[in-house]
Amino acid sequence: MAYFQARRDFLKLATKSATATVLIPGSLGALGEVALRGEDKFVRSICEMCSSRCPMEARVINGKTVLLQGNAFAKEMGTSLCAKGVAGSSQLYDSQRLVSPLIRVGKRGENRWREASFEEALNLVSTKLSALKERYGARSVIFSSKTGEHYDLLRSFASAFGSPNVFSHWSSCPIAIESAFHHTFGEKLHRDFENATYILNFGHNLFEGLDISLTKAMAHFCANPSKKLVVLDPRFSIIAAKADEWHSIKPGSDLAFVLALLHVWIRDGKFDHTFVEQYTIGFDALVDAVKETTPQWQQTRTGIDASVVERIAAELYAATPRCIIDWGHKATTTQAEFQRSRAILIANILMGNVEKEGGIYLTKSAKRVNALAKESIVPELNDPFPRLQINEPRIDGAGEEGAYCFVSKQHGVLTAIPEAILSQKPYEIKGWFLTRHNPLITVADPQKMKEAMEQLEFIVVNDIYLSDTAMMADVILPECTYLERDEGISTLTCKVPTYAMRNKIVAPLHENKSAIEIIRALAERMGYGSHYAWKNSSELRAFQAKGNAELLQTLLLRGVASFDVPFFCARESSLVERFCERYPKSRAWVDAQGCFGHLLTHLKTPSGKIEIYCDAVEKIFKGYGVPRSVDMDVSQGLPYVLTSGKSAVHTNGHTQNVPYLSRLLSSNPIWMHPSTAKAHGLKMGDTFYLQNAIAKEKATVFITEGIRPDTLFAYMGFGRDAPSLARTHGKGTNVSKFLSLASAPICGAMITNVGVNIIKA
Amino acid sequence: MSPMWGSVEQYSAIHWSWAIAIYLFLAGLSSGSIIVALLVKWNRHERSNSSIWDAMIKAGSVVAPVAIFLGLLILVIDLGRPLSFYWLLIRYNITSVMSLGVLFLLIYTPIVMVFMLLVFERTVIKYPFFAPLESLINVVKSFHSYAKIIEYFLFGAALCVGSYTGFLLSALYAIPLWNSPLLPILFLTSSLSSGVAVNILIGLLFFKSTINPESIKYLLVLDTRVILTELPLLGLFFIGLFYAGGDVSHAAKMALTEGFWAGIFWFGVIGVGLGLPLITVIIALRSHVYRVGYVVINSMVVILGVLMLRYYIIYAGQIYLG
Amino acid sequence: MGKQYRLIYDENLCIGCQACSVACRVENSVPDEVYRLQVHLHTKGEFPNLGMNFERLSCVMCENPPCVSVCPTNASFQSKDGLVHIDERACIACKYCILACPYHARFINPLKNVVEKCNFCYETRVSKELLPACVSICPTDALSFGDMRHKHSLVHQKSHKEVLVFPKAHLGTKPKVAFIPNRKGMKS
Repeated sequence: MAYFQARRDFLKLATKSATATVLIPGSLGALGEVALRGEDKFVRSICEMCSSRCPMEARVINGKTVLLQGNAFAKEMGTSLCAKGVAGSSQLYDSQRLVSPLIRVGKRGENRWREASFEEALNLVSTKLSALKERYGARSVIFSSKTGEHYDLLRSFASAFGSPNVFSHWSSCPIAIESAFHHTFGEKLHRDFENATYILNFGHNLFEGLDISLTKAMAHFCANPSKKLVVLDPRFSIIAAKADEWHSIKPGSDLAFVLALLHVWIRDGKFDHTFVEQYTIGFDALVDAVKETTPQWQQTRTGIDASVVERIAAELYAATPRCIIDWGHKATTTQAEFQRSRAILIANILMGNVEKEGGIYLTKSAKRVNALAKESIVPELNDPFPRLQINEPRIDGAGEEGAYCFVSKQHGVLTAIPEAILSQKPYEIKGWFLTRHNPLITVADPQKMKEAMEQLEFIVVNDIYLSDTAMMADVILPECTYLERDEGISTLTCKVPTYAMRNKIVAPLHENKSAIEIIRALAERMGYGSHYAWKNSSELRAFQAKGNAELLQTLLLRGVASFDVPFFCARESSLVERFCERYPKSRAWVDAQGCFGHLLTHLKTPSGKIEIYCDAVEKIFKGYGVPRSVDMDVSQGLPYVLTSGKSAVHTNGHTQNVPYLSRLLSSNPIWMHPSTAKAHGLKMGDTFYLQNAIAKEKATVFITEGIRPDTLFAYMGFGRDAPSLARTHGKGTNVSKFLSLASAPICGAMITNVGVNIIKA
Repeated sequence: MSPMWGSVEQYSAIHWSWAIAIYLFLAGLSSGSIIVALLVKWNRHERSNSSIWDAMIKAGSVVAPVAIFLGLLILVIDLGRPLSFYWLLIRYNITSVMSLGVLFLLIYTPIVMVFMLLVFERTVIKYPFFAPLESLINVVKSFHSYAKIIEYFLFGAALCVGSYTGFLLSALYAIPLWNSPLLPILFLTSSLSSGVAVNILIGLLFFKSTINPESIKYLLVLDTRVILTELPLLGLFFIGLFYAGGDVSHAAKMALTEGFWAGIFWFGVIGVGLGLPLITVIIALRSHVYRVGYVVINSMVVILGVLMLRYYIIYAGQIYLG
Repeated sequence: MGKQYRLIYDENLCIGCQACSVACRVENSVPDEVYRLQVHLHTKGEFPNLGMNFERLSCVMCENPPCVSVCPTNASFQSKDGLVHIDERACIACKYCILACPYHARFINPLKNVVEKCNFCYETRVSKELLPACVSICPTDALSFGDMRHKHSLVHQKSHKEVLVFPKAHLGTKPKVAFIPNRKGMKS
């Protein structure tokens, strides 16, 4: 490819322009005359230390990464990066990384291996998978992956192979809110934190689960005395500490609070009547559903005083439309998850903040912007990962008739896997291909999951570390880290169309290959080569960009590409006018109010409008058509609720063994209120047992005022059984072990709040 | 928040440990013993050789060089980079008490050696074993005419060494327990008391001398006097800290009440180092029993008390920061 | 005339995420278990009336540095720009400066056996017109760095807009690191 040849020149260019780039914030330019040395090189790419995929930049000296930081070409990033992102080099140079393919020699899970060449390992995988397909059918193999390009690759490969059983991590994470959006708007919306003046937050912990651009916006919001943040969280998290008001809500009861808000607004007629009338359907059903959900009613469920609801309802209404009721990322989560998420979305709708500055907005994708402008202002991409239609039932019944009919076939219900394998219903499962996915840490009831995995004939895992899940594999294919590989173009669009690309920063240090290389090589060996229009990452990029050399050059040089499209909210006439001035043909869409109102009446919902009431849902799940009170109990009759979440220095399962991060936080003692600790005779650092019907596990105690007396809290991702993760092995408690495989109705979300007992050791 | 910022050990580490405490003790002992020896020489030296006074001078002239050499050896070994200690001799920083200390020691150590040789020149000549030193003795002999000046000079240098160890600590305002103008005086006083004690002890044990109840009584009273100046100084030291307010008074309170080091202070410094000798002296003076044993034990506990004071100040200072 | 560097830490923007700490480690190859920079979080109050303070620990680059005045070999020295540096060659690791520092900013580098501390990334970054690693990396723009002589610098502007607190100012050390104290009190 011509563009690829030119790459070296671009990198030289990148070096020269870098001085200017890094000087933007803080403007140190006037400080001195010394220029960067020639060997300093800057490469821009996308971070992979968590799934936020922030654009980043590496400073490379003599072929070794020096500092990783944010990519200032992405305006909202600046040079910022989180602790995990900066520790990317620590993972790169980690001696405990997987450095060659491993083939199991002991019993499954025994952790005895022999090293093999990639050639041998890939041959073995392709032979085994083909044999399984031959013998039990393609559907007998499960494919699961973390989201991102890995998932697109694997899903495409699974379809070529012929299996319907593809899973993403969604059902263990954001599936409830995704499902709520799907049923309300037909697509996902974003929050305009920058311009909001009032935010009600249900524990969306952007200061410990970082996504740089959102975190930065939220930090500036909190530091601004003229704005107000209210946080509802059983724990005094960092975002609670930064809030103007914190209410330690009873775990799982967010829904009750939101229903009471809706009740107050409707009771007083204080909501955006025009918006509701013009753009939504089913408001009357909501009026009926929240008739009884008074502030007093919620008080007994949430523990928050009725007067607080009244006050917050009034404050939010006064702040309309620049107010946001934040739905979070991965929610609290409870049986009531679907209803909670829908109720929050509908609260936003009643405040009329949709497509308003400081409110919530639709993704301004390339396709949407081009259609509005009636010209091609932003290049659109080819999909390099073709998927064939598979007409086979899935093992979890996702998207098929039954309990999971509304769960996307693309993502599935992870918690349904163990039962399906063990019971061999609806059919036999014999193999599992996991790429960068660690269900033994991140999915409920890993005990059962492990039992199920033991029944399988063949497991192949692609990972960077020999994780708990990798330990169960027959073949481990070591992937190179994100700093050592090229990937295709990914879309980062929120306010304006934006693309980003993962560019190789250093040559692979070991024998490792990228997922693209691994999957493509397997496809070739198994006779699916023609499935793909590309043979390697450079061809993939060229195909994806439709040969647009300029786009690729920009992405190689800058890591991100945006197209100077002005941001607009469809219901802000001044912003719409600005857009029209730039792209005159778009005036054809402007309605009487000077807005792009059609965007909100041609949604992908059945009615095309915003659906407060979902007829499709009501038909199958009676009472679920509008948000209403459902079972919110998370304690299951046990005295304490165990909650979990992230710290700013770790993800839910991948980073615990990364040297620099392990040093910052190496275990997860359980947060406990002093009165609770006293009642059980526990002192700081004491060992005790947590117990429920599913597990009894050792834990240590961290005593803090920052949690409700009836609630416990732990950081995710500890309690690792894999000895190869030497730094983190055996430290802390794996809280997934207490979670039940029963998932939340309709959305299939894993439930991560669970009742436990404290037993003295 | 449960800590997620990693190890905090470096913020509470003990940077100066037992080696420094022992060095401070030995430097004090050295200067104290030579000061005491000189005072005795100037005021009490009757030419009758076998008196306790003569023994004390001999003891002082031996203890001082031995203690300072031992102390410096420990000090250099305790450095993070012992082999780079020569930088101390090449580069000086006059605002650094440590650097000034190096200067003092550079003056003090050779003179203390010369003094020892002057005191022992006849002994050295007597033994063939010391023959190689003869030429040195001859050089020293040439100093004879300057003996008095050397002694005065030595006295001054010893005062500097004895008090610099106090200034070394009191210069650090980051450490409340050290940052007191009384600390140098306290250290100097306790150096003197250890000097008295060590000279008596070494004199009695190694430089056989006649001793009579009169001189025993005198020595016991001398000890008491030194202790009686030390006690109020310690009192003033802490009172000063208390009235400094804020972190300083909090640190002082902690240092007197919390944990192991408060125990060392009350039982070691006060009880053993000051209380015990006082009690023995009072009993001896009351009952008019003047045994050599009393003097020996008394001297030993005084020395132990001084050592514990150095230990206490070094550790408690770094632990209790307010 | 030398530079007048200043680093401002805004406690209101800091979220205690430790990105600065890791960036510092990476940039300066700080060995395991020691830190040139940490941010501590302190929860105060009683449930449910709680607050949280954020505290940044590192060298504050004193105008009157006690570490420099106590160093017997001049290994700790102040540059003409007023920054305090360590000449590793002449450091005998007597630890006198560690004890003299009221900010606990100094420690022994266990690999090199010399005293170490924050140097504002002078050699690797500031002298090359790059911001110190911690400032550059901060996810929430809680740190700003620059030369006070320049009216347009962020630090100059912030210094005039905000109330700055200089840590342990009563000691007369005149730090170049200032902080903007937490405006959020206790929650009720």
